Amino acid sequence: MEGFGFKDTFSTITTDSLLEALLVVVVASLLIMLVQKLIPALAGKLGGKIRRYLLASVPLLRLLIIVLTIVTVVPILVEPSFENMVAVFGALGLALGFAFKDYANSLIAGIVTLYEMPYRPGDWIEVNGQYGEVRSIGTRAAEMVTLDDTVIVIPHSLLWNTLLANGNDGTDNLMCVAELFLDPNHDVARMQNLFRDAVFTCPLTKTYQPVLVTVSATDDAMRYRLKAYPLEPREQARFISDLTARAAAVCASEGVRMVSKRVTTPA
Amino acid sequence: MLEGDKLRVFAPEPDSELLAKALQDQLARLRQAGAHQRNVSFVVAPPFSGVAEALCRTQRRTLTPPDNLFMTEQDAAVWWDEQLAGGDWIVPELADFWLRHQSGLNLLREFFARIALDNAGNGVVGCVSWCWQFWTQYLPELSLAPYTLAPLTGEQMTRWFNYLASGRGEQQVIARMTHDGLHVLPVPEEKTRLKYSSFTQDLATLARGNRGIARAIWQRALRARPEKSEEQENKENGEKRAPVEIGGRQCWVVPLDQLSLPSVPHSAGRQPGHILHALLLHNGLTTEQLHMVTGLPEQEVCLTLDKLLRAELIYRNQISGAYEVTPLGYPAVRKNLQGRGYPVDGF
Repeated sequence: MEGFGFKDTFSTITTDSLLEALLVVVVASLLIMLVQKLIPALAGKLGGKIRRYLLASVPLLRLLIIVLTIVTVVPILVEPSFENMVAVFGALGLALGFAFKDYANSLIAGIVTLYEMPYRPGDWIEVNGQYGEVRSIGTRAAEMVTLDDTVIVIPHSLLWNTLLANGNDGTDNLMCVAELFLDPNHDVARMQNLFRDAVFTCPLTKTYQPVLVTVSATDDAMRYRLKAYPLEPREQARFISDLTARAAAVCASEGVRMVSKRVTTPA
Repeated sequence: MLEGDKLRVFAPEPDSELLAKALQDQLARLRQAGAHQRNVSFVVAPPFSGVAEALCRTQRRTLTPPDNLFMTEQDAAVWWDEQLAGGDWIVPELADFWLRHQSGLNLLREFFARIALDNAGNGVVGCVSWCWQFWTQYLPELSLAPYTLAPLTGEQMTRWFNYLASGRGEQQVIARMTHDGLHVLPVPEEKTRLKYSSFTQDLATLARGNRGIARAIWQRALRARPEKSEEQENKENGEKRAPVEIGGRQCWVVPLDQLSLPSVPHSAGRQPGHILHALLLHNGLTTEQLHMVTGLPEQEVCLTLDKLLRAELIYRNQISGAYEVTPLGYPAVRKNLQGRGYPVDGF
């Protein structure tokens, strides 16, 4: 150990300096807790872009506090000479590397997410078949809330080798699709026009974004897809329900039967 | 606060006939210059601009909306055939001719189809900007090159207020700020020694150049007396200022930041937004129409309307029975709707 200079490195540690370092760590922890509680609470009261920016600032602020804490604590405990720093950080890196390989993997991926931004708080993403809104981005993992109000923790390390679908990519624009299957043998062009009217008359529609109605033939039904943007991504479930209800009303008034269950012929 | 007769003296209702004449002259000039070749002209303006009132004062035949706006395509075609046959016509407010409902679009769709083919006779159409914004998005191929009123600058606003208050320039009017005594009216002259406030510039910004909104805020800001009497102020300052010579009428103006304007109440639900947006799209709706347009249950519509009435954001038009957004509440309503993702007008 002496060969690495550890004895000299830690010779400056005293009870006072330990207490001082502990105090800094406690203050930093309190500050992090405060940031994690206050900013989301404030963001919850606001809407639109400000909410998104505030939520996105939480992990950045936390990282900043952690870095500042390390920068403050190390010189308190260790005399900040070049040799000492190399020794401390070298040993720290070695220990962490072995003990927390996967954790470090997630941490590094977490830092990558901060500048690559594959997802941000407020984004609607799908990872490994799970779909929901990113609630917060932690150092190791992100938290997502599904439409059924279930919280799912996604380790950032998934980023390296998992396909990730982001519905709104940092904006307020999230395309939603209401899907309908109708009995064939009807006036397709008329139904398309009526469905388009249904989308435009829905009060939740962002009419300044594109509205599309596509149709394709399947084995046993005509498949209509009503594509539009809700006023806010959070309203997607209500929006799709509203579009489906409006489209169903159109079908009823036009006498076109909706196919709710695929009919399969026995082999 | 100025009320009743005094308010009517200092901030009277503008004369719609003047705007009507100016609009007609301008359209005629554009037609003569060859800049406007269609038979039907469109004038699109934000709410409270006074275009509908002005168009009603023209000598043309006024087309009024049918009682039932839910028409089939065939019925809509027949209705327009009947209405457009005859002489020159005007539609003071196009927003009265539709409802944002599955069955409420046919009448205007048929109308725009005729206009596109220039097959609707000679007419002038007034349209509120929110309604226009919806229809240009619903019919993206619609290309009608509408005209609009230029927004008022602070300087133009000063001239307009001075014109209204002075009875078409017959009497001198003095308006001063209550807090610092700076002048708002009369219109500043080139070599004047008077110090002027930036009130009208700030008002023009707040009202986005909209004369109706600016006039409503101006009315709210007018006072009969300053905060402190001049005598009291002189005593406090230990100064002996000579009393101001007033040749005409004098009133006082409260600064905009001290003015209490309506604000949109905080609500977790979408109901207030849906109702306010629907009112602006249609330039006013009844409870029953609101129920049809927003899809909200009538009881919920009534509860929300009550909340908005108490917040002074809407009022009930005694003649039509429809609820409309108040000019004082309009800036807050527009800002709120924009912040919550609703499609807003371009003005």
